[in-house]
Amino acid sequence: MKDLININARGLAEKISSQELKKEEVISFFEDRIKKVDPCLGSFIEKYEQPVKGEGKSLLSGLPIAIKDNICIKGKKITCASKILANHIAVYDAEVVRRLKCAGLDIIGTTNMDEFAFGSSTENSCYGATKNPWDRTRVVGGSSGGSAAAVAARLVPFALGSDTGGSIRQPACLCGVVGFKPTYGRVSRFGLVAFGSSLDQIGPITTDFTDCAHLLNIICGHDHRDSTSAFLDVPDFTKSLNADIKGLKIGLPKEYFGQGLNKEVKVAVEGVKKIFQEKGAEMIEVSLPHTEYAVATYYIIASSEASSNLQRFDGIRYGLRVGGQNLEELYANSRGQGFGDEAKRRIFLGTYSLSSGYYDAYYLKALKARTLIRRDFDQVFKKVDALLTPTTPTTAFKIGEKASDPLSMYLSDIYTISTNLAGLPAVSFPCGFSSSKLPIGAQLIGKEFDESSLIKLGSAFQSCSDFHKEIPKIIDE
Amino acid sequence: MSNFEVVIGLEVHTQLKTESKIFCSCSTEFASRPNSNICPVCCGYPGVLPVFNKRALELAVRVSLALECKINQSIYFERKNYFYPDLPKDYQISQYKMPLGEAGILEFPSGKKININRVHLEEDAGKLLHKDDCSWVDFNRTGTPLLEIVSEPDMRSPQEAFDYLTYLKLILQYIGASDCDMEKGSLRCDANISLRKKGDTKLGTKVELKNMNSFKGIRVALEFEAKRQAKAIEEGEGITQETRLWDVEKSKTIVMRTKEQAHDYRYFPEPDLLDFSISSKLIEKEKALVGELPIERRKRFLKDYKIDQKEVDIILSSVWLADFFEQANKYYPKPGELSNWLLGPFLEQVNTLEKGFDSVKISAQKFAQVVKYFCEKKLNNLSAKKALSLSIATDQDIDSIIEKEGLRQVSREDQLSVFVEEAINENPKPVGEYLEGKVQAVMFLVGQVMKKSKGKANPQVVREMLKRRIEK
Repeated sequence: MKDLININARGLAEKISSQELKKEEVISFFEDRIKKVDPCLGSFIEKYEQPVKGEGKSLLSGLPIAIKDNICIKGKKITCASKILANHIAVYDAEVVRRLKCAGLDIIGTTNMDEFAFGSSTENSCYGATKNPWDRTRVVGGSSGGSAAAVAARLVPFALGSDTGGSIRQPACLCGVVGFKPTYGRVSRFGLVAFGSSLDQIGPITTDFTDCAHLLNIICGHDHRDSTSAFLDVPDFTKSLNADIKGLKIGLPKEYFGQGLNKEVKVAVEGVKKIFQEKGAEMIEVSLPHTEYAVATYYIIASSEASSNLQRFDGIRYGLRVGGQNLEELYANSRGQGFGDEAKRRIFLGTYSLSSGYYDAYYLKALKARTLIRRDFDQVFKKVDALLTPTTPTTAFKIGEKASDPLSMYLSDIYTISTNLAGLPAVSFPCGFSSSKLPIGAQLIGKEFDESSLIKLGSAFQSCSDFHKEIPKIIDE
Repeated sequence: MSNFEVVIGLEVHTQLKTESKIFCSCSTEFASRPNSNICPVCCGYPGVLPVFNKRALELAVRVSLALECKINQSIYFERKNYFYPDLPKDYQISQYKMPLGEAGILEFPSGKKININRVHLEEDAGKLLHKDDCSWVDFNRTGTPLLEIVSEPDMRSPQEAFDYLTYLKLILQYIGASDCDMEKGSLRCDANISLRKKGDTKLGTKVELKNMNSFKGIRVALEFEAKRQAKAIEEGEGITQETRLWDVEKSKTIVMRTKEQAHDYRYFPEPDLLDFSISSKLIEKEKALVGELPIERRKRFLKDYKIDQKEVDIILSSVWLADFFEQANKYYPKPGELSNWLLGPFLEQVNTLEKGFDSVKISAQKFAQVVKYFCEKKLNNLSAKKALSLSIATDQDIDSIIEKEGLRQVSREDQLSVFVEEAINENPKPVGEYLEGKVQAVMFLVGQVMKKSKGKANPQVVREMLKRRIEK
C-alpha cells in the first residue's frame, strides 16, 4: 500500500475505476497517512472524522481532496486560520465545493494557511506554522502552505488553494509541487472568503501537470453567482497534456533574473529553458519595465480591498464576540482579540490608503500603476506565447527568519505578484533542488484565459524530468 | 425671521419596486416576522458575492428619465465603508463618483422648478430594534434596492419642501418605480437647511435633519429648525455644521453629530461587480414606459374634462384614482358627475374599507353604471349609494343588486299616491305650517314618504305630488 504515494491522482482514480483498488482503501490509506505524518507538519486545520462525500462521476471520482480553510463547505467549520472565525460554521457550499462534489471527490479536511491568506510563510496562523516536509525547520511558504505541504508529503493526492499575490505558486514552489493560479474569472470566487477581491483566484495544487489539468477541468467555468466570473467556454485541459511545443515562443523577462535572485535558483530555471529549447520552443528575452512597482502597487490595492472585506468580522452576526460597555467597545474588543498582527497591519495599511486626503496619493496611484503593469504584459504577449521566470528568489527560508521583517517577507512574492495585478494565469512547478535538497520552482505565465499553453509547456518539461516524482522523507517508513 | 431666506435641499431614499433584492434573490416583500427574507448574501456571510438585479437598474433609469436627468451610460458601484450593526458587511454598496443620473429637473404644477443634483442606486441597511435592554437586528430590509434622489438647495420654504415631496412621490408612483409608502419605509427623506440674509447669494452653514417619518413631519421639523437657526443667528451664536435628529414627541431637533465626528466613508470601486454600460436600447425602452407624467396628465384633465382644478388635483393625487376615473369616463363620459361621485360617496366608502384602495373590487365600468343610473333617475341618491356600498368590495352585478335589494327608483304617481296620502293624514302640523307659507315644511313630509317607500321613491316626484295635494 505504501506504493500509493508514488502514483498520481489520475493514476489512483484509474485503479479505482478498474476496480484494482477500492475507493475506501484509497481514502483510508491517506487518512492513516495524515494521522501518522501530519503531527510533524501541521498542514491540516481539521481532518474530518467522515469525509464530506461527493456524488457525481468524473475521471477523478472516488479520490480524497483537501481544501484551504478559506473556502466554504456547508456544515463545516471555516476558520481562515483566524481566531475571529474560530467557531464559524459555513452555511453554504462554495461553487468549487459544489463542483468537486459533482465530480465525485471526497473532501477529507481543511488545510492550514496564513490568517485570511495574509502572508507568505503560513506562520501567521492562529493554529501555528506548518513545517516544510523537506526540512522541518523551514517554512512551507504561504498563504496556501497547508495545501502545498499536504500534497508534497502525499497526505492527499491533491488540494485546492487560493492565490492573491502568489499564495498558490509560492508555497507550491517551496514544497516542490505544481501550483496553478488560473486567469482571474476562470474559477468562481463564490464561497471563497475574500482577501483582495480583484486579485483572488482559487486553483489546484497537485504533484504533476496531469492531475493539474484534470482538476482544472472540474473547477473552471462560469458561475452566475460571481459577477466577475468569465462567461467563456472552458477547453478540455487534458488535451494539452504532452502536446507538441515546437515553435512556441517563450519570453524571459529580464527584470525577473536580476539582483536578489539566488544562483542555484537561476541555474535550475535555466535548465528548464534548455529543455524547452531542445523541444523546439523559441526563447526570447523580453522586458516588463514596470515590474519594480508591482510589490508596492499590490500591497496598496490588496490591503485596501482587504480592509473593506474584513469589516464584516465585527462580532455582531457570527464569529468571535468579545463584549464591552458599548457598541464601540464590542467592535474594538472583538476585532482587537480576534485578528492577528499581520491582519491588523493590512487593515491599517488599507484603511490609510483609502482615507480621504490619502486616496489619490495611494489607492488611485496604485490603480494607475496596475494599468501600466497590465500594459507591460499586453505588449510582451504580442511577441510571445508564455513567459518563463523563477517562482521565488530563494528556496524556503527558516521559520521565524522573516517574521519580524514584514518588508523582506513581502519581497518573497516579487515574481508572483504582477500576474495577479494583470489577472493572468500562472503556474509554479518543480525544476530542481538546491545543494541542501530544498525544492526549486519555475513559473510559467500565460495570456489571459490561455491556461492550455502553460499545461502544454509544463507537461512537456515533466515528460523529461523527475523532480516532481521526488517525495520528502518525513518519518521512518 | 423675516430678514432671512430659508434654503432647503432634500435627499430622498425611495425603495424601487422589484420582486427581489438588489444583490441577491431574497424577496423584497414587506414581512412582519423579523429575518424571514434573508440569505447568506444579504447577511454578508464570509465568501458571498453580490449579483446585480437588472430590474432595479431598469426602474432607476426610468426615474432618471422622468426627472429629466442626464444618464451616465457607463456606471459602477462603490463601497461606502462604516461600522453599524444593521449593515452586515459593514459597507454599503452604493454609487459615488459616477451616479446613474445627474442634472435633472422636477417641475411643480405652479411652474416652479427644482433642480435635481443626482440620482443613484444603492442597497438598504437593516433595522435595529431595542427592547428588554437588548438590541436586535432585522435584516429583512437589508439589500432592498434604493434610489437616492438628491435635490439642489432650491426650495425656499418648508411648504415648498412639502410640495416637492408630494410631487416627487406622485411621479415615482405614476411611473411604477416605487410605492413610496413612508410607513413601510419605502420612502425616507433627510433635509439640509440653512438660512441667509435676504439678498445674499452665498449659502449659509447648513444643518442636516434626519428622523422625520411623514411629509407633514418634515414640514414641521423644517419650520422648527428655520426658527431655531434664525434665533441662533440673531443672538450671535451662529450655526454649527452638524446633523440633527427630529424628536417627534418633543417637537424639536437635537444634535446627533457634528462635522468633526463625520465619517470618512473611504469610498472605492466595488471589486465584486464589474462596470456596466447602459444601452441606448434600455433607455429607449424605459423612456416609453415613463408614459404621461402627472404634470402632463393634469394639463390634459383640465382641458379634456373641464372639471374644477381642485377636483383634478385630488383625483391626480393618486394614480389609482386617476386611472379609475379615466376608465369610468370611457363608459359614461360625464366627467362632472363622475368626479362628484368619485370624490364624494366613493371615497367616503373607500375610507371605511380596511385596506383602502387595495380592498376596492368594483370595476370602473360598474361604478360608471351606478352614476349613470343616478343621472337617468333609475336610482335615487340613497339607492345609488347603497348599490355602491354593496358592490365596492365585491364587484357584484349592479342590475342584480338593484333587483335583489329592490332599489329601483319609483317615479310612477299611482305607486306613490298611497304613501303621500298617509303622510299628509299622519302629519297635520307640517301640513299646516306649509299652508301658512313655510315652504321648507314639505321636506319633512318628503322624508316620511321616502321612509314608507323604503327609500325607493323619487324625491322630486314625491315633492311635486305633495305640493299639489296640499294646495288642492
